[in-house]
Amino acid sequence: MIKAFLRDRIPLDRAPSMLAGGASFAHVFGTVLVFLLGLQALTGVALAAFYSPSTTDAWASVAFIQDQVAWGWLIRGLHYHGGSALVIVAGLHLLQTAIAGAYKQPREVVWWLGVILLGLMIVWSITGYWLRWDQAGYWASQVEIGIAAGTPVAGGAIRAIALGGNEPGNLTLTRAYALHVVALPALVTLITVAHIWLARRHGTTPMRVANTAVRRWPAQTVRDVIAMAIVFVVLMSVVVVQHGTDLAAPADPMQAYDARPLWPVRWLFELRVLAGSFEQLAAMAAPAIVGGFLIALPLLDHGTERRPMRRKLWLGALAGLFALIGALTVASFARDANDSALAKRLAKAEVQANRARKLAAENGVPVTGALDVYKTPRFWKARTLFEARCANCHDATSKERKGPVIAPGHGDRRWLTKFLQAPNDDQFWGLTKLAKTEAAMKPVELPAADLADLVESLYAESGADSIDQAKRERGLKVFESACTDCHSIEEGVSGASGPALARLGSRDYYTSFISNPKSALHMGADKSEMPRFDRELSIVDRDALAEYLVWLRTATPQDLVNLGPL
Amino acid sequence: MADNDPDRRKFLKVATCALGGGVGLVAAVPVVRFVLDPAGKTTVSTPSEPLDLGNVDRFRVGAPPRRVEVIAPLVKDGWTSARDVVLGAAWIRRIEPTKIEAFSAVCPHLGCAIGWEGKDFLCPCHDSRFSVTGEKTTGPSERGLDPLPVQIKDGRLQLTWVRYKTGSSSREPV
Repeated sequence: MIKAFLRDRIPLDRAPSMLAGGASFAHVFGTVLVFLLGLQALTGVALAAFYSPSTTDAWASVAFIQDQVAWGWLIRGLHYHGGSALVIVAGLHLLQTAIAGAYKQPREVVWWLGVILLGLMIVWSITGYWLRWDQAGYWASQVEIGIAAGTPVAGGAIRAIALGGNEPGNLTLTRAYALHVVALPALVTLITVAHIWLARRHGTTPMRVANTAVRRWPAQTVRDVIAMAIVFVVLMSVVVVQHGTDLAAPADPMQAYDARPLWPVRWLFELRVLAGSFEQLAAMAAPAIVGGFLIALPLLDHGTERRPMRRKLWLGALAGLFALIGALTVASFARDANDSALAKRLAKAEVQANRARKLAAENGVPVTGALDVYKTPRFWKARTLFEARCANCHDATSKERKGPVIAPGHGDRRWLTKFLQAPNDDQFWGLTKLAKTEAAMKPVELPAADLADLVESLYAESGADSIDQAKRERGLKVFESACTDCHSIEEGVSGASGPALARLGSRDYYTSFISNPKSALHMGADKSEMPRFDRELSIVDRDALAEYLVWLRTATPQDLVNLGPL
Repeated sequence: MADNDPDRRKFLKVATCALGGGVGLVAAVPVVRFVLDPAGKTTVSTPSEPLDLGNVDRFRVGAPPRRVEVIAPLVKDGWTSARDVVLGAAWIRRIEPTKIEAFSAVCPHLGCAIGWEGKDFLCPCHDSRFSVTGEKTTGPSERGLDPLPVQIKDGRLQLTWVRYKTGSSSREPV
């Protein structure tokens, strides 16, 4: 009863779709394209639920999809490679149609709509590539907009409209996004509906001259589904093998990148190289010539003859055009594959991309923008400050070092022991002016046990855990007898001639020392060459440096490497 | 019937087209104007005053060109504003203590970022090469690297950021 109710209202079987000449695999391309469009819509909507089109967020949201969302890599990979599949199958559909002579009267409009759809799909994939706002997408957008800006007369306006203003920014992304996910899908859907509706009205062009017509369902449908399944398996395999698709480091306007266009327009890239000084002309004229030829084909190859062997001229021209585009594409990829300098640069870019993605996954991307992801590792700020303000005088590798080496282990028990034994050694005060004067600290000569006790008492000042209290007590007595001529260890009390050692090695001590090493509590006005930083660095910066120095005390060189490059 | 009267039919046709077209036009004009609004506007602010590149002694006399970030203290981009934004890079060469040359790292060809390759500059996108003094040696670029105005003030190097039109032999600011 329900069946009858529906049949009355949705009369599908009253005019069954018929296929002249019988079912054939030659007719599967259109259905496969509809399937791929559906897949793009599905994965596209899914991606849009995560993607954020702004210069600060775009890369971060794509990295999030790729590396953190369940099956994110799969959805993103299907969408990216699905776009490629669309262009490939559309190309095959076009060739099949041409071979069958199916663009001939009265089906010219079906053909023209198809050619427009192929062009739109290529534009569609280009706008999609921009959206990742990684180095690859960003620089590709710069070049593509640059080429469009070279259009005579209208170039400036095209650039301004494409960029959404004067420079690449948020408005560039929002309009690329509007095009990619709203305007182009709507346009492609409309034209596709018109294309299919017209094609059905005219009926398929049979491959063989045959008067038989069969119902599309199920003989043709099963072939369609087989073809769909084959395409889907190939697509899935590519996606799995590539784990989705690549994502370069975040767009960086100062970092050079070997930008290449997406493969459907790669032939144009190669053509520009070959065209030399006519490159702008080539970039404009070549797509116009190809598009113009495809549009003109039904008019050029007119008449009723549909046998391919009788239409050698125009089919030959079409085949030649496809072969040329294919050859240019292959030549471009081959050129890159043989460029060892390029391979090195790409390897470097990949290391950076992986680092950025790892940091994004571990630390999140700051709201200030994707480039700030490099600043998220622990102690980034302090290490940058150290590099800029301290390394010249304190880094072991600096040729202009003037003060003690500051490196992992600085200020730990071992370091203190060595320092007390030879304070004027090269790695300690050796390179300072003070070392050569009477005021230089004398090496501490004590029995090993007393020295260890003294070290424990000094080390305890840093507030470190794991202090042997008994040793410390003994050490303080050693301090009383051996050090108090010059030093004090009482909070806030200056030593007679040397630095006060209360809270030595603690965060507060370092902040105070960095702020003003010339203070009476520390080196005193005449003994320190180190500048005071309380006027140059904010208290937050000085404290960050101090925190880093405290960490460095128990860090190993490997820990430092693990923080990553700056 | 009156509905078959040719004059009446003609009038109805004109009325349909005029009314439909009118509604379409009134809806379309503001939409188009809206979408085109950013074109011709300064949607991303670029500083016209000189930017600080730090102590001039960062740059050694006679050293190979050194890349510096060109950082704008404040950039407005559409509805956002951000501090310390990297606009791009410049290549700095200190020829004599007081003679400093700066090139924009934006390739004059199509706007990719230029890199220093040990003995000359290379744009990795289309393989334009430039000598250390900025002249084009090979590749599709129609002009040499774009010099940027620099000055030394109170021991600090200052640079004025200019973005030039790409893809032409003449050097015009965008």
